[in-house]
Amino acid sequence: RYVRQLQRLQLLFSPTAADARGAREFVEEAAQDFARQHPDVVLYVSPHSGPGPAPVLRAEYLNGTVRDELIASKTSEEIVQLATKLANQSGLDIIRIRKPFHTDNPSVQGQWHPLTNKPSILTIQGPRLQPQ
Amino acid sequence: MVVLSAARWVRSRLSDRFWRVQEVLKYARHFRGRKNRCYRLAVRSVRRAFVRSTKARREKKRSLRALWITRIEAASLEHGLKYPAFISNLVKSQVELNRKVLADLAIYEPKTFKSLAALAQRRRQEGFLAALGDGKEPEGIFSRIVHHH
Repeated sequence: RYVRQLQRLQLLFSPTAADARGAREFVEEAAQDFARQHPDVVLYVSPHSGPGPAPVLRAEYLNGTVRDELIASKTSEEIVQLATKLANQSGLDIIRIRKPFHTDNPSVQGQWHPLTNKPSILTIQGPRLQPQ
Repeated sequence: MVVLSAARWVRSRLSDRFWRVQEVLKYARHFRGRKNRCYRLAVRSVRRAFVRSTKARREKKRSLRALWITRIEAASLEHGLKYPAFISNLVKSQVELNRKVLADLAIYEPKTFKSLAALAQRRRQEGFLAALGDGKEPEGIFSRIVHHH
């Protein structure tokens, strides 16, 4: 079964700031539809009065990563798209994956070492060999 | 009094300059010197770093292929074959393994690589016989070509 990795979305904005207009419109119109479409994500709307930090959409994931996305001067539709993008992500850090594959046992026949293709007389350690 | 437009002497001021600066500085954090702290220097360095990383993607393919070729050459010399002979005879025996896989086999599966080297050697000998013999000897076994239709 699919478990959504996004735990909660916090919408931190100030109701009087000019750049939080998109956030206010999102809360008025699209927040309820978004919350209904994603029932396993908790949506918190926390307006802080007065001039404060820039409006931010904070996403917290099940593995503990917190991702802040600026929503200053964004329209309501863009915020909806951003929220759906965050909801479909997992909380893994967004860095370059070095290799798309991984094995715990890369070698079946034994990894090469400088003595693999040498005559085995070199590796024998025993009582002093008779000179031939 | 109805005000339809904002007064001309009220201008909007930038409030998220910090984040705009951080967007650039976060890519410069591992640089050396003042370019990892000062925005003005960091902008130039970050742009150059991005340009270099785009160009390096084409170089990476070349340098990795050269690395694989070096490794295959070393491994085949251990088995008494030179790299051109090894590769050409493998191709003639219809073994379509690329250099990346051959290098990984040489490192992690040395016995498989030894058998591939033996195959290439056998095909080489058959090639010599076919070219120099020119007689009524039968064709070599490993020189037969399988047609996939």
